[in-house]
Amino acid sequence: MTKLALMRTSVAVGLAIGMAGAVHAQTINVLTAGSQNMVDYVTDYLGPLFEEQNPGVTVRAAGTGPGDAGSQKIFEKLDAQMSAGSDAWDVDVAVVHQKMAGQMREADLLGSYRGDIATGDLVTRATAKMALGVDVDGYVMPMFHSQTAIAYNPDLVPDPPSTYEELKEWVAANPGQFGYNGIKQGMSGVSFVVGWMYAHSGQEDVLSGGPYDPALKDGWGDILAELKSFNENVTFTPGNAGTLDMLNRGEIVMGPVWVDMFYTWQADGRVAPNIKLKLIGPGMPGQPMYYIVPAKAANADLGKKFIELATSPTVQAEGIVKNFNWYPGIDAEHVEDSLEPADFDKLFADVTPDDLASKGKVFPIGPFFDDILESYERHVQN
Amino acid sequence: MMSFHRVLHDERVWSFALVAPALVTVGLLFIYPLGFSAVSAFSAEEGGWTFANFIKAFDLYSNDILFTVVIVSLSTVLIGFFAIAIGGYLTLGENPYAVAILKWLYRWPLFIPFIVAAQLMRTFLAKNGLMNNLIVGSGLLEPMQTQSFLDWRGIVITFVWKQTPFVALLVAGAMASLDRSMIESARNLGASRIRILVEIILPQVRPTIVVGLILSFVVMMSVLSVPIMINAQTPTMLTVDMAFRINAYGDYGVANALGFISYLMTGVVAWIYLRQGVRQGAAP
Repeated sequence: MTKLALMRTSVAVGLAIGMAGAVHAQTINVLTAGSQNMVDYVTDYLGPLFEEQNPGVTVRAAGTGPGDAGSQKIFEKLDAQMSAGSDAWDVDVAVVHQKMAGQMREADLLGSYRGDIATGDLVTRATAKMALGVDVDGYVMPMFHSQTAIAYNPDLVPDPPSTYEELKEWVAANPGQFGYNGIKQGMSGVSFVVGWMYAHSGQEDVLSGGPYDPALKDGWGDILAELKSFNENVTFTPGNAGTLDMLNRGEIVMGPVWVDMFYTWQADGRVAPNIKLKLIGPGMPGQPMYYIVPAKAANADLGKKFIELATSPTVQAEGIVKNFNWYPGIDAEHVEDSLEPADFDKLFADVTPDDLASKGKVFPIGPFFDDILESYERHVQN
Repeated sequence: MMSFHRVLHDERVWSFALVAPALVTVGLLFIYPLGFSAVSAFSAEEGGWTFANFIKAFDLYSNDILFTVVIVSLSTVLIGFFAIAIGGYLTLGENPYAVAILKWLYRWPLFIPFIVAAQLMRTFLAKNGLMNNLIVGSGLLEPMQTQSFLDWRGIVITFVWKQTPFVALLVAGAMASLDRSMIESARNLGASRIRILVEIILPQVRPTIVVGLILSFVVMMSVLSVPIMINAQTPTMLTVDMAFRINAYGDYGVANALGFISYLMTGVVAWIYLRQGVRQGAAP
């Protein structure tokens, strides 16, 4: 080898190392809307796993806060970057609520990616295509599905009500023993109110499927007046966690909760082991959380790879079902093989797959959702 | 050159340069957002000016507006009472141990953020919470007689617990800097401690008390964590409604209208504060 060739080689090697260094220094930004457990899921489990499989990549994860407020912040951040005309947005992956996913799609903030990733066809549920009336097919992957149900203490309520109608009678007979958190203190209360509307209005199909009719809300006065009188015998709880706290302290014996939160608390010993769940008829809503890739994410390819990992059967089984007690985002049959039967059955013990199929509802489409909340403010709280 | 020198020596230029950073900060972080939210409160979604946001705000939240005024006013009165009691005992107390213990204890809530205070109260004031368990444990009440304080009373208790030390700190400082000789002579003439506090000390520290209470009023008006974590009932405070308008509906118009109504409330209080300053002919 001549001296010149040697020099060339060493320069090339040096360049290669330099470039490799540049590749290795990549960072992807993952924003998560939702409660602390969801932020923990990304920072403690998914992020480290992705970093391990992709040496040199750093996952920078941040939570934007619980509830729709967290998704609202992500929306505002992306919207601001779009308005500023930026071509490289500093969010590569975000976890958002169902309502906001539709809103982001309509504002052209989302990139289409489900067709690009290997796990894209592992989900066939309707929630992967429609988000509260907005077509999001291709733009989202469900991270998990969540469901609300009524938690109760079987020692004190051996025969819990199984429909909203029976619950109404039970509450009248046992004032103060049922608790929920209204609509301003978290989504489990909102979900209970939506279930009430589905049960009493007979308008579930149009509320959850559209088309939107602004006049529909004018007919809800009586249903909400009934809810107001129902509320007189209810104990109000401060938040989703507040309902579980009060159940656990014995201040109430029944109340609506998120199934995943319930099982997580029970596993941590923060909810007594005897408390059980029941999904009452005609049904209560649940919702998925979605992974999205913003339309102009600076590291969109890494973002897609991240979601591919997050929606793979092993991660869905290990992380979503086993560690966090959520219902899987991809179809359940794909995770069953990666789980011990006991872990799989635990999740479906109180709320059976049949219950989920028949009584697991979706939330109403955006404008009806707003109308329900505002009508509650107007007729029940005012 | 001459004129440049003159400029350099002109005091007004220098004084302006000195206050400029403060002015810019106030302008960017306070005046601009204030103006922006006021404009948004009067703007229709489809453009143009409107009162619709205010009509909706009063339509849906008039009870909450009233509730907010009552809760914050009641808390302010109680804070004033306890702050004067603490300041008075620190100034006039005769047992040095009791004074030392009180002095050490009363400031603690100052270092606890509102949200932490709210979380503490959530488990302390609940029906089967720490407070009721203590009462039941000591045999004063039966478990069935207990009740939850997680309603308007919980908000008032948390506000008073959290803000009293702040006002007490100001008031105790003002009381300590008073001329002791007047207090001593009153003592010598046989005046009771209560009478000294009410007739001699209070009139002299009144401006400090008013300033402390007004600042507390404004702080309490802005707290979201305490009402949202403690009060699950209806009505609730305006901050909760503002957060709900934004988080549930993305509706900044009505949220800003509610904010504007809050400004008006604090504006009235600020006006009292300024008037007090003018009447005394000095900076408040």
